[in-house]
Amino acid sequence: MNQEITREETIINKTKSNFPDFVKDAKIDRHLRLTITFDKDHLLEIAKWMREELGLDHLKGVAGIDFPTHKKLEVLYFLGSFSKPELQNLIVTLKAELPRDNPSIASAVSIWQSAHFHERETFEMFGVKFEGHPDLRKLLTLDNWEGPPPMLKDIKFPEIGQR
Amino acid sequence: MFLGEMYEGIKHIFKRTFTLKYPYQKQLLQKGFRGRHLLYLEKCTGCGICAWICPEKCISMVPVKKDKEYPQNPEMRFPQYWYARCCFCHFCTDYCPTGALDYTPDYELAEYDRELLLWSPERLSRQPTNVGTYQSVIHGNQGVTFEQVTKPKVLAHAADAQ
Amino acid sequence: MTSNPPTSNLTISKTDDSSTLDVSVGPQHPGSGHVRLLMRVDGDYIVSIDPEIGYVHRGCEKIAEYRNYVSNIPHLERPCIIDAIHLNWAYVLPVEELQRITVPPRGRYIATIAAEMNRIMSHLYWLAINAGVFSGHTTIFMWAFGDRDLFIELAEWLTGARLTYSFLPPGGPRRDLPSGFETKLTKLLNYFEKRLVEYDRIFFSNPLVIARAKGVGVLKREDAIKLGVTGPVLRGSGVEYDVRKIEPYGAYADLNFKIPTFQEGDSYARFLVRFEEMKQSISIIRQALEKIPKGPIARKAPLVAPEGEAVGRVESSRGEYTVMVMGDNSDKPYRVKIMNGSFRNLIALPYLIRNVHVADMPIIYGSLDYWPVEADR
Repeated sequence: MNQEITREETIINKTKSNFPDFVKDAKIDRHLRLTITFDKDHLLEIAKWMREELGLDHLKGVAGIDFPTHKKLEVLYFLGSFSKPELQNLIVTLKAELPRDNPSIASAVSIWQSAHFHERETFEMFGVKFEGHPDLRKLLTLDNWEGPPPMLKDIKFPEIGQR
Repeated sequence: MFLGEMYEGIKHIFKRTFTLKYPYQKQLLQKGFRGRHLLYLEKCTGCGICAWICPEKCISMVPVKKDKEYPQNPEMRFPQYWYARCCFCHFCTDYCPTGALDYTPDYELAEYDRELLLWSPERLSRQPTNVGTYQSVIHGNQGVTFEQVTKPKVLAHAADAQ
Repeated sequence: MTSNPPTSNLTISKTDDSSTLDVSVGPQHPGSGHVRLLMRVDGDYIVSIDPEIGYVHRGCEKIAEYRNYVSNIPHLERPCIIDAIHLNWAYVLPVEELQRITVPPRGRYIATIAAEMNRIMSHLYWLAINAGVFSGHTTIFMWAFGDRDLFIELAEWLTGARLTYSFLPPGGPRRDLPSGFETKLTKLLNYFEKRLVEYDRIFFSNPLVIARAKGVGVLKREDAIKLGVTGPVLRGSGVEYDVRKIEPYGAYADLNFKIPTFQEGDSYARFLVRFEEMKQSISIIRQALEKIPKGPIARKAPLVAPEGEAVGRVESSRGEYTVMVMGDNSDKPYRVKIMNGSFRNLIALPYLIRNVHVADMPIIYGSLDYWPVEADR
């Protein structure tokens, strides 16, 4: 048990020492779950270091969370590792905060190819523009959907009556 | 060249068939099958937990005709089910604090008019009418058949469907 | 028609080349759910493919923010309804982590038995439709659905419903094993083991199936890791990764089972991974029925969840199913994010179906076991 806790703490210490300015917060949620909050302009450097030095070689998903009262959008990247046995049961969450009007962040497709469809979905659901994505268009909604991004908290849907 | 595979397929001509001839043969339903709900009017207190937990929001609390006194329900509110929306998860049955709702084996609820799918509390308190008759039996290598277990009849209580 | 197949790169190639013909599999083909595959064809070779998804999108994650934690269970088990226990369990694990409750051991064993029965049912559906009907083998379609109905009858006895179980609210399963359940389940497993031998002889060792599936749609090990695929697609390419072994949940820490892995990475290897997984599931259920302890099955759970984020995952039939739940001290979740096997394997469709014959497309599509409703949510 002691050895595994130091493994998570090792990752936190290495991240903080390598990027002292860009990493805002790094904490252990529980055994096997880490969350690292970073500055959104330096995604590519941190991501490349995580893939090559730490060995987190795939992306499980990209999520967006809307906080209208705090006027920010959060984008989360869930990372895992297939090739390193000692990291296989960790899930590392990278968090970035974006302003709510005109959110944009660099695309992680050049580092993790699995981000292709995940970023398309976050683009159409939250309006986040991923710069450098080869094919950013709508994925799940209707082809002629012109309305606001659906997953934002202040969207108004028509009322449907209930008997 | 394909003799092994063809033998596998052809030998099934001589095994028993595996088809239940619905609606003349119906499947046996064990106790606790999630069909339509049975409401015990003398136990319901009108708390509304069933309406709160319903995932599809198909339960609403309505008053019933005052032809019988229900002292445990001072506001005379009983649940009414809109079966066009119900997903038959029976969280209402499990979360009811007094046990006023029960499972029944009724699942043939189709109607010709949509309005008839709105079941009032009195209609929900009527006894169930369906009972299963055939259950599957595995005969080792000879396959699967169905044998008759109970004869169709009107039940006295939902728990008798066993 | 060219003699060498033409080449194209990984991402969706938008060729305006007039030498290719656009053939639409669809407009929305019903293969376990609606999806459109726009193929660009040059003679008998598919140059590239563009999957258009979203025909079954209904805003699952948005609706989940308007329902309380228990009401969300029938809603969030619907994306892949033939695999309902796994989806239910994947949502309930982070909720239980937020609310800080643990399920008693007997409840965990009952959930494991139900989950492995569900894995067998889901693989039988895959065998009938995706591997059988898509390749033209209708006998295995009839046999697999017939045997699946026997498992559905037992699941109906255990939970009350044939397919839409809603069996695991936060705190533990809703019902205990009925009396007589173990005997009937053991009898069914003995019968099913003999049927698997017959399936092997008529389908998996059939020279026609081997000729169509061997060497087709090869996904090499390094590409599987780079693309982030999961489930039997990953295990068919040589990566031994199963959530039941690396992060055991339920009763899997006490049970012995193997993870079938094959090195070739072609469609036939992916077929065999699911076939062997069915055999391992039989062995897991037998061990769980022997070792199940006595005691309570569930704890009472609160109706609200405190603030925080939790990430939980299970190994569903199609891959690693990860759910993130964010609570905000109320009875409704603030955000539910679902990352499932079908959506992660979607990147493999345009990657594998390049420079292949048109007749190879159903085999590759079937071997990936793509479930459009789950991917679209």
